[in-house]
Amino acid sequence: MTTVKYDVVIVGSGASGGAVAYTLAKAGYKVAVLEKGRLLKREEFSKDELAYCRRDIVTPSLFDEYHVIEERVDGKWESTPTYDSGWSFWNGNVVGGSSNFMSGMLHRMHPDDFRLKSKYGAIEGANVVDWPISYEEMEPYYLQAEELVGISGKYQKHPAEPPRSTADFTQPPTNENAVVKLLDKSCRELDITPLVTPRAVLSRDKGHRNACYYSNFCGSYGCSSGAKGSSREALLMPALATGNLTLKSNTYVKSLHTSRKDAVDYAVVVDTISGKEEKIYAKMFVVAAQAHESARLLLNSANALHPNGLGNSSGELGKNLVFSAGGSGEGELHEDSLKEIKFEELMQTGLFVNRSILDWYFIDHWWDGKFKGGSVEFMFEHQNIISRARKNNEENGKMVWGTVLGEKLTERFTKSKKIRFEIFNDWLPNDNCFVSLDKNHKDKYGMPVGKLRLEGHPQDLKVGKYIAKKCEKVLEEMGAQNVYSSVSSAPPQNLVAGGCRFGNDPKTSVLNKYCQSHDVANLFVADASFMPTGGSVPYTWTIYANAFRVADHIKKKLKAL
Amino acid sequence: MQRRHFLILGSLLGASPYIEAKAQSAFSKKFENVKSTIAAVQEHMFPQGSKIPSAREMNTIRFLFETVEHKSYDKDIRAFVLEGAQELIDREKGKFNTMTAAEKEKALRGFEETNYGRNWLSRIMTLTMEGLFSAPVYGSNQKEAGWKALSAYGGEPKPTVRYVAL
Ligand SMILES: Cc1cc2nc3c(=O)[nH]c(=O)nc-3n(C[C@H](O)[C@H](O)[C@H](O)COP(=O)(O)OP(=O)(O)OC[C@H]3O[C@@H](n4cnc5c(N)ncnc54)[C@H](O)[C@@H]3O)c2cc1C
Ligand code: SF4
Repeated sequence: MTTVKYDVVIVGSGASGGAVAYTLAKAGYKVAVLEKGRLLKREEFSKDELAYCRRDIVTPSLFDEYHVIEERVDGKWESTPTYDSGWSFWNGNVVGGSSNFMSGMLHRMHPDDFRLKSKYGAIEGANVVDWPISYEEMEPYYLQAEELVGISGKYQKHPAEPPRSTADFTQPPTNENAVVKLLDKSCRELDITPLVTPRAVLSRDKGHRNACYYSNFCGSYGCSSGAKGSSREALLMPALATGNLTLKSNTYVKSLHTSRKDAVDYAVVVDTISGKEEKIYAKMFVVAAQAHESARLLLNSANALHPNGLGNSSGELGKNLVFSAGGSGEGELHEDSLKEIKFEELMQTGLFVNRSILDWYFIDHWWDGKFKGGSVEFMFEHQNIISRARKNNEENGKMVWGTVLGEKLTERFTKSKKIRFEIFNDWLPNDNCFVSLDKNHKDKYGMPVGKLRLEGHPQDLKVGKYIAKKCEKVLEEMGAQNVYSSVSSAPPQNLVAGGCRFGNDPKTSVLNKYCQSHDVANLFVADASFMPTGGSVPYTWTIYANAFRVADHIKKKLKAL
Repeated sequence: MQRRHFLILGSLLGASPYIEAKAQSAFSKKFENVKSTIAAVQEHMFPQGSKIPSAREMNTIRFLFETVEHKSYDKDIRAFVLEGAQELIDREKGKFNTMTAAEKEKALRGFEETNYGRNWLSRIMTLTMEGLFSAPVYGSNQKEAGWKALSAYGGEPKPTVRYVAL
């Protein structure tokens, strides 16, 4: 006899899994979250650069679990396992997922991002489609995420800033480094409007979470005050407090089992410590393993009823994977040429730069033409000490060492500070960007690994370069030296979406508008997999919002059972 | 390219079977044979009298050994660290450790000319900087001397245990 202990089983405890768990546990349903990583509590995190940034303590060893990356080299597709290249596509595999380690620069997508095709038309070589829902349908959930996750900010009216149903953020912006005076002034000189960046970081205490203490090591690190809006702090902890959530860490989900065509019966899991296998039954199943891994799990769940993967009657499963396109650039602000602010103010650590530019979100220019652009974030170079010290120590093609190295490092660390920008623009979905199963490689649990074919669309580069030139001008106006930028088609592995498109037509999409499988009624995918296009902002606010929306729908379904 | 091939490309040892470092004790023994050479390279890269603490003062060879020896460390790189040192010893006919600073400079610059040597030196540089600028708990940023030299301090809370114990 099998017992269905849970109303809902969720695979993955990250941003999306946490939002679903929170909603359903609060509504009184019995929920189990299955997370392959371990639980690291707030007090266990530290600012250990070796541990968090240079070793794989919060991600699997690439010799145990990895991906195979397929890239076009001289016209031919070449496959490289990530244990060979070191190019990891894991982003945080502990309870709370990558959301523990994000920098937390969040934006809502613009209403036009939901209807890119209608607005800008088809683009050759790109599989752009409109979303089956509008911004208006998402707005209440953007707000819910803002409140629950604790997104701080300051609303400023701007043509590319989406409308909101409340006047402003409940949490005021985080504290800012004085460099914003210089940045704001330089932008104004160039007729550019700088905006305050909304951030998933608390500027004020909120319930069990303390306000940010400006630790100076935010992105890539876990937060020791609870200020960062990770799924673990903001959602799983309150969900656990209801008594309705069972959090199963160290639990790797191998596949979802179906004995009927239209329903999952159980998840096949393995305890990552004891190696023991188990079946976990539930009424509904929600996959939230991060986009590329969710598609892989469904592909790995193929059986006679679903020969091409679970919920893949459309053949679209794994297709149209997207990343955030763009690039970055930087310049150095030097003590001897600094304008507007004091050098000591610039060197103050911990405070955020907190500025975004949305002026180039939509380009409509008499000379440049009309096309979809992107957003820009400004920040200081990551304050990691080892990586800053190790960088750029070459002169005339030779390594620098000895006393010259000592001079160079002390000069670099004490006489200047680097300011950076990052550009986010649409990664156009295309036929050469998808995840499938690798036929030869298996992870340590015996499951085929995800094979990611990665290729961007030429338009992505064009847009990125266009914006990069404008940002370089901002840095130059600030008086920065050695300004440069780099825009490439290499994807950022931490901003990934698509692979299980949602849509109204079961022939061309994997999920319906509620992110429920068209084929399997009790199966939902709650992470960024649903996104047919990614918008020109980082994804995570949309991931949180959509997962709340999906959870609301599941709640209704459970009620009707 | 396969990473192992990349690491050994241009090696005098070529495709000879690389030093096996399966058992940790075996590694310790092999390390003893090359320890003084690696330490001498570190000391040349981070000498006394520089604006940053010296490798000798901060005992960076110990950090390097403890890091590379641990089972969590990449086994290919573990072997490479040993091999590269042996290659340097062989290139310089066993005399590297007793050379003057100027001779060492010449020897290392010559080694740097080879792809293999360059990779190895770069790895030793990384492993030494990791020691000097990581949290004091790892043993080679004693009394935060590395951080003080750069006026850059790791954030709070600092780790109280090494990652291998997490
Ligand atoms: C350093 C860094 C900085 C970032 N900065 C930003 C930013 O500034 N702005 C922004 O918008 N976004 C940012 N992000 C991205 C953001 O963290 C992610 O978009 C978001 O967390 C994704 O949520 P998710 O639920 O899809 O996946 P995740 O949060 O990654 O959670 C997925 C979870 O599923 C688990 N899992 C996977 N497979 C299985 C399996 N088979 N069985 C059991 N469990 C499984 C994983 O271990 C993981 O814990 C950043 C990410 C990183 C790493
Ligand atoms: S305290 Fe603030 S800066 Fe530090 S990790 Fe938490 S949110 Fe980020």
